[in-house]
Amino acid sequence: MSALTLRPNWAWPGVLICVVAVVWALDWRLAIIAAVWLIAWGINAILARNGTPGARILVPLIFGLTLLTLWEMAVRLYEVSPVILPAPTAIAVAFATNTATLWADFVQTILRGALPGYALGCGAAVLTALAIDRSRFLQKGLLPVGNFIAALPIVGTAPILVMWYGFGPSSKIAVVVAMVFFPMLVNAVQGLKESSAMQRDLMHTYAANYWQTLFKLRLPTALPFLFNGLKICSTLALIGAIVAEFFGSPTVGMGFRIKIEVGRLAMDMVWAEITVAALAGSGLYGLMALAERWLTFWHPSQRRG
Amino acid sequence: MKHLTLGAAALLATGGMAVAQDEVNLQLQWVTQSQFAGYYAALENGYYDEENLAVNIIPGGPDIAPPQVLAGGGADVMLNWMPSALAARENGLPVVNIAQPFVRSGLMLTCWADSGITEPADLAGHTVAHWFFGNEYPFLSWMSQLGIGVEGGDDGVTLLQAGFNVDPLLQRQADCMSTMTYNEYWQVIDAGVTPEELVTFRYEDFGVSTLEDGIWALEENLDDPEFVDRMARFVRASMRGWAWAAENPDEAAMIVLDYDETGAQTEEHQLRMMGEVALLVAGGDGRLDEAAYQRTVDTLLAGGSDPVISAAPEGAFTHVITDAALAE
Repeated sequence: MSALTLRPNWAWPGVLICVVAVVWALDWRLAIIAAVWLIAWGINAILARNGTPGARILVPLIFGLTLLTLWEMAVRLYEVSPVILPAPTAIAVAFATNTATLWADFVQTILRGALPGYALGCGAAVLTALAIDRSRFLQKGLLPVGNFIAALPIVGTAPILVMWYGFGPSSKIAVVVAMVFFPMLVNAVQGLKESSAMQRDLMHTYAANYWQTLFKLRLPTALPFLFNGLKICSTLALIGAIVAEFFGSPTVGMGFRIKIEVGRLAMDMVWAEITVAALAGSGLYGLMALAERWLTFWHPSQRRG
Repeated sequence: MKHLTLGAAALLATGGMAVAQDEVNLQLQWVTQSQFAGYYAALENGYYDEENLAVNIIPGGPDIAPPQVLAGGGADVMLNWMPSALAARENGLPVVNIAQPFVRSGLMLTCWADSGITEPADLAGHTVAHWFFGNEYPFLSWMSQLGIGVEGGDDGVTLLQAGFNVDPLLQRQADCMSTMTYNEYWQVIDAGVTPEELVTFRYEDFGVSTLEDGIWALEENLDDPEFVDRMARFVRASMRGWAWAAENPDEAAMIVLDYDETGAQTEEHQLRMMGEVALLVAGGDGRLDEAAYQRTVDTLLAGGSDPVISAAPEGAFTHVITDAALAE
């Protein structure tokens, strides 16, 4: 290691100590928070620069832990009211003590509302895309209508759908379908246009019929677009199912819980539900990303090495 | 000395001179409507000006929890139902009742007569739609006092979380719905339902009523004599507003309509609401009735396995403000 690369390593701590000292004079609590942040940042910078084995896992881990630590410190040092922002430890306690409730809410909202709606909405969108692809009439007529539906605000449609389909999961499924249908449709229609005229001509010379061309050429080439749609819709589905519960629900579900616990000022429980939603959302998104990597291995964006 | 400066300030204010007025931000429990006529009347009639106060009335709504606004510093004082405020207090937000203009509860349960429900005990096996967001406490504690579960089934009530309209009842998705004497009940009637088709149970009649629409402030602020003085003037002017509104319900309703920036309220509905609200404030001077407070606390504690509050609150109310306000 040359002196050139060594120098910044030694100069930086000096500068940082000065910064912390200056901040200390203004507000000692801010100085402590700044010090912890700078130390964690320094560790990450060193890990990233030296290419330590395992840095790919360690760096984001340290980053996440630092955020949580800073949050905890800020809440405690500044005595932020738990009604405004609870500490991560308080949220963790709420999570651990309410697992049964959180699980019941997860089943109600995600498994009974979001996922069926997601499957129905995306499935219907792909089938519609196939119909649109075959018919010029639909292409001219249906796409604008789809556009219109996509522009409807959820806060307007959700109460109506609750009135039509009742307080149970069916109204949540309806809201999710309305939300995911169009983004999926646009992607599917675009995807079906992906195969080139040359490729289709080639299939023609093989004497392939419509279905053979569809399954062997057009759907595989459409996959990157289909997965794009599926990934966008995975988060939309969760939002739809949770927000729809604000407008009417039985006394279970993530949206219901968030709403009543806000009213009860139990913000730790609200954050616990948000944690569940974030985990479920990331999980669904990750699942789609995995499936995409597996099925579209041939696409330039997925090639490795 | 305080009285002297106060008097001087009042003199200056009535003299029409520009004085730096003390600001009060009031967070309402709900949207602008006759439920809050007293405050709007005090504002419109200049009662706040006479107390040298610049009062800013902040409307609430379905997704606004007044205690949270108070905690976040968005308001100096809030209107809140006592069950919700006491629950907030137990959850770590020390709010204190400084005045109680509403002496009676307007909460009731409205059921379809043809559902076969003739008394509250018949509710088992039926569906009830209720608003949540802190408004569900009186119902939950009433049910647990009656020994009726709220988890559904044949011996329990199936509870639905309704939006803030009466559609679940009108569409018969629920047999009963929570209503206020001054608001939702009339929405049902306006939808073409006759009173004979309905059965109503008023919480007041069953001894399970809890206090509504009290004035609450943060405990820490009450150590500040300036704040106490400001609140005393605020409560005094507000109670004058209520007295005027109760005597002049029609004019009061029109004032409320003027202040409704959303334009969502109708004249007929507000006039009727004002008439009903006048019944709830009648006979009160703002001083909290300790017997009514105790009944509220007892009701909330009697929640069986799931009480709204787990221990009798200490220091959840003070007469300091109302004593000072009524001293004049």
